[in-house]
Order: sequence, then C-alpha cells, then structure tokens
Amino acid sequence: MDDIIASSTGGHGQPGDGTADQLRWFDITDTDRRRAEALAETAGDVADEIIEAFYAHLLSFEDARRHFRTDAQIERVKRAQQTYFRELLSAPLDAGYVENRRRIGRIHERAGVTPTLYVGAYAYYLHSLGHLVMDRRGQDPQAVPLLLSLIKIAHFDMAQALETYVEAREATIEQREREMSELPTPVLQLRDGLLLIPVVGTLDSYRARSLTVKLLEGIRDHRAKAVVLDITGVAAVDSAVANHLIQTMTAARLMGATSVLTGLSADVAQALVKIGVTGETLRTAGDLQHGIEIAERLLDG
Amino acid sequence: MTSIELPAEHIQRIERDGDVVAARQTGRRIAAEMGFGRPEQALIATAISELARNIVSYAERGSITFRAEDHAGRRGLRIVAEDRGPGIPDLAQAMSDGFSTGNSLGLGLPGTQRIMDEFDIRSIPGEGVTVTVAKWISR
Amino acid sequence: MAVRVPILRQGRTLIASFQDDLSDSDILSLQGRVLEDVIRHRATGVIFDVSALDVLDSFGTRTLSDIAAAVQLRGARMAIVGIQPEVAFSMVLLGLTLSDVPTALDLETGLALLARAVP
Ligand SMILES: Nc1ncnc2c1ncn2[C@@H]1O[C@H](COP(=O)(O)OP(=O)(O)OP(=O)(O)O)[C@@H](O)[C@H]1O
Ligand SMILES: [Mg+2]
Repeated sequence: MDDIIASSTGGHGQPGDGTADQLRWFDITDTDRRRAEALAETAGDVADEIIEAFYAHLLSFEDARRHFRTDAQIERVKRAQQTYFRELLSAPLDAGYVENRRRIGRIHERAGVTPTLYVGAYAYYLHSLGHLVMDRRGQDPQAVPLLLSLIKIAHFDMAQALETYVEAREATIEQREREMSELPTPVLQLRDGLLLIPVVGTLDSYRARSLTVKLLEGIRDHRAKAVVLDITGVAAVDSAVANHLIQTMTAARLMGATSVLTGLSADVAQALVKIGVTGETLRTAGDLQHGIEIAERLLDG
Repeated sequence: MTSIELPAEHIQRIERDGDVVAARQTGRRIAAEMGFGRPEQALIATAISELARNIVSYAERGSITFRAEDHAGRRGLRIVAEDRGPGIPDLAQAMSDGFSTGNSLGLGLPGTQRIMDEFDIRSIPGEGVTVTVAKWISR
Repeated sequence: MAVRVPILRQGRTLIASFQDDLSDSDILSLQGRVLEDVIRHRATGVIFDVSALDVLDSFGTRTLSDIAAAVQLRGARMAIVGIQPEVAFSMVLLGLTLSDVPTALDLETGLALLARAVP
C-alpha cells in the first residue's frame, strides 16, 4: 500500500514495482481483464474509426494542433495510437506494461502534452468505447459490468502516465535545486594575500565540499595568507553546517592561510560552541568590516 | 566526456610497502581516465592508501581490485580491498574515530568511509577482511 | 637504498623536499636523517616541502607530526609547506588536521614564518 501512495514521491527509477499492489488498489481482477479482452476483437475492428474521430476532435484545437507539423507525423502517431488503444484492452497488465506506459508518458510529457490533454484523450476513448459497447451489446446484461471494468483499466492506465508527469516535474525541481546549490561562490581578492568569500544560500555537504575546493584553489591561485569567510547570507546554520565551516577553515590552514569567520548570529555562535569550537581554534568577528580588519592585521603582523 | 576503453577489472597485489604506492597511483590513473575531477582523484587515492596500508600492517598480504562501473549512465569506480589475515573482531570499534591497535591515529577506516560515496566492511575473525568502497562521478 | 628525499641546508634551516609519491619506508628513513642533520648542523628550523605530494594519508601525517615533535625536542622548529588544495581537502575529510605543526603556502612563506618564530 505504501508503494501506491508513495509512488510519486519515492518511486524514482523503479517503474513497475508493486504492479500487483496497484492492480489491487484499482480493484482490477482477472475478471475485469477477461471482459476487456473479449471486447478487444470488436474494438480492434473499429479502432481505426475511433482513432480517426479522436484525431479529428484533437486537431480541432489550436493548442493540440501545435504539436503536429506534418501529415506524415500525424499518420505515425495515429498508428502508434492504435497500438496503444489495443494494448489498453488486451495487453497483460504486468510490470512490462507499466514500464511501457510510463515510457510513453515520459515522451508525451517531454513533448509538452498537458495532463488535461492526456486525461481528455482517455475520456474520449472511454466515451467511444462506451458507445461501442452500448450499440453492439446494449441488451447484454454483461454490458454494464464490462463498462465498469473498462473504466477501472483506463484509470489504472491514466495513473501510470500521470505518475511520469509528477516524476518529471520532481526531476526538474531537483535539477533546479541542484543548480541553486551550485551557485558559484565568488572568491574575491580584497588586496594582496587577502581573500573574501561571501557564502550565500544553503550549505549542504555537497555544496560545502565545492566551497572548500573553491577556497583552497583560490588560496593557491592568489597566494593568499588570510581568508575572510562571511556567512551573513547563509540560510540556516546547524551543527552540520558549522562542521563544514570548520573543515573548510582547517583545510585553509593546512595550506598556510588563516581564516576569519564573520557574520555569525547569536544562534550560530551557539551552534559552534555546541560542537566544541572555542575562540582559540577559530577566529571570528561580529561583522564583515571588523573581520577584514582582523585579517589585515594578520597579514601585516 | 569521451569514453575510454578501460579494462573491466584490475587487480593489484598488496604485499609490501611499495605496493601501497603502486595501488594508489593505479587508482588515481584509472580515476583520471574515467573523468573524475582532481579533488575526487585525491580522495580516491587517499582511500586506497588507507585500505592498502591496513592490509600491509595488519594482514601482511591481500589485494585491491578496481572496477569501473556504469549503471544507467552513472559512472563510478568500485574498489575492493581483500585479505585473509586475522580479521577484525569488533567492526563497530574499528570504525570509530581514533580506535587503533597499531598505535596510529585510528582514522583510516572511518576517514575512508567519510571520503567515499559507498562503504562496506565485512570481516570474519580468523578469515580476513573485505572492504568495498565506491565513488561516483558527480554530474 | 636510494635517498628519495634530499635534505638541503640554507643557513640554519634544513629543507627536505619530497620528490614524488613516497612509500612509508621512505618517510620513516627520512625521520632518522632529519633528526641527525638537525643536531649535526645545529639547525634552528626544518621545512618539509610537500608540494609535489598528491596524497598525504594518515600514516604520512602522523609521521610528519612525530618528526615535528622530535625536531622541537631538539630545540628547532618545523613547518610543512606546499600542501596542495586537493591534498588539504582529502586530509580534512579524512579527519587529519595536523594541528600541532605550522603550515605555510610555499617555501618562501615557510622560511619567513620560521624566521619570525626564532629571534
Ligand atoms: N585489514 C585488516 N585486518 C585486520 N585488522 C584491521 C584491518 N584493517 C584495520 N584493522 C583494525 O582496525 C583498526 C582501525 O583501522 P584504521 O585504519 O581505522 O586505523 P589504524 O590503521 O589503526 O590507524 P590509521 O589508519 O589512522 O593510521 C586497526 O587498528 C586494526 O586493529
Ligand atoms: Mg589504517
């Protein structure tokens, strides 16, 4: 059950996991599958017709039309759509099926097909199939159960596609966050031998490492003897971040440069004390100006 | 990144002091060829140095195996340090900062865990130690 | 055995330049030679130039601290110069802080550092 509920947040890279659970969630049984399969032959005959009608409907929308450039392209997607449609009725709903549906979902997502278009297309197919069933088997007492089965399967199918949408969005957000955390940290030379590094944003361990590397290369390239690390712009300083800062300053010392940490709030000072940092091991200054003065004295002294 | 033909696996025997140096040089070379940045190359070389030295110091002989890996576009280097020495009776203790039976700093194993992306240590007392570490190329 | 780390003398300062990747026994043999030289030349300072090293691991670091302590016992001061950025980076992540030995960017600043320390 966790699988189903959490799949859009935790299920990266494992499409098809828990397919059986999902089927249970949609209450899709072998009976449903058999009913749909029985319809497959009839629907196969009219698939052409349904899809032609669908594209006529689709292409009457400006937004949708933008996705198609040539008639050949339209023919190609129509053929693909027929396969998609047939599979909906007859393919075994297994991990392979789910993976394939998700793959197609990803392609649509990338092509800019909106969820509305997607869900609308399913609604259209269900609608067409509904008419088909009622036209041909209106008298059959099995007609309504068959329709209900179709609705379940279509929703299951839709869920697969929408999951890929959510995953893609998340990947985009993650990517953006990553880019944010890779915001270049400027290394500024204030004067000969003195560097200023204003640290801005969040300082996770990934970014802390790149900050350290950047600082160390800066020390080498500028032959710096003192570094002012200003953390006024750091979002949150917990003990992990404090540890990163200490590591960075220790590494600077190994290269022969002394660092001064500036812009500490009272909270941050507290965090530093908590991890056992004392004034002797770490030079700090309340504000940037004061920090620079300390660093200059270190250089001149 | 051009793809370079790497041998699937490279094994370095560790028996002497000099092998420690050879192993970390090999590791660094492979890491550089795979496209790891210089800081990562140094981390990998340092980890190898620690693992190889532990073999020489505590087990006399063993081996280090390098394996370039590629999982769904994620490239990395896996390193396995193995020996059939006395083993480690208490892994938790050996993994804590500062614990050393060799009158050393006791940072080799816990430090290696810190600098690599993956770390796994197994030991059966009397039958040796296997440490498996990996580092992935950050995209 | 070939001497892999030559010890040079400049005034009363000894300078040991590590050539490249050193084995543990190279470092250990250096320890004895440096201490002898400190006494023989009545050196007041010792500089280890490690700019050519691309790894400084727990053994290397511990040995350098040991040498520094022994040098100090003989009345001289020691500094380590030229730790490269990626070496410093690996050292801190490993947990090596070398807190008992002064460090400097390069030979020049190292010499200045020792000159200031010894009146
Ligand atoms: N391959 C091994 N075989 C047997 N014991 C080992 C092995 N590797 C490590 N140990 C044990 O684990 C302890 C901790 O190892 P670790 O590398 O962390 O520290 P160390 O080697 O003692 O010191 P350092 O690596 O800092 O110089 C060792 O002192 C030793 O008792
Ligand atoms: Mg060790």
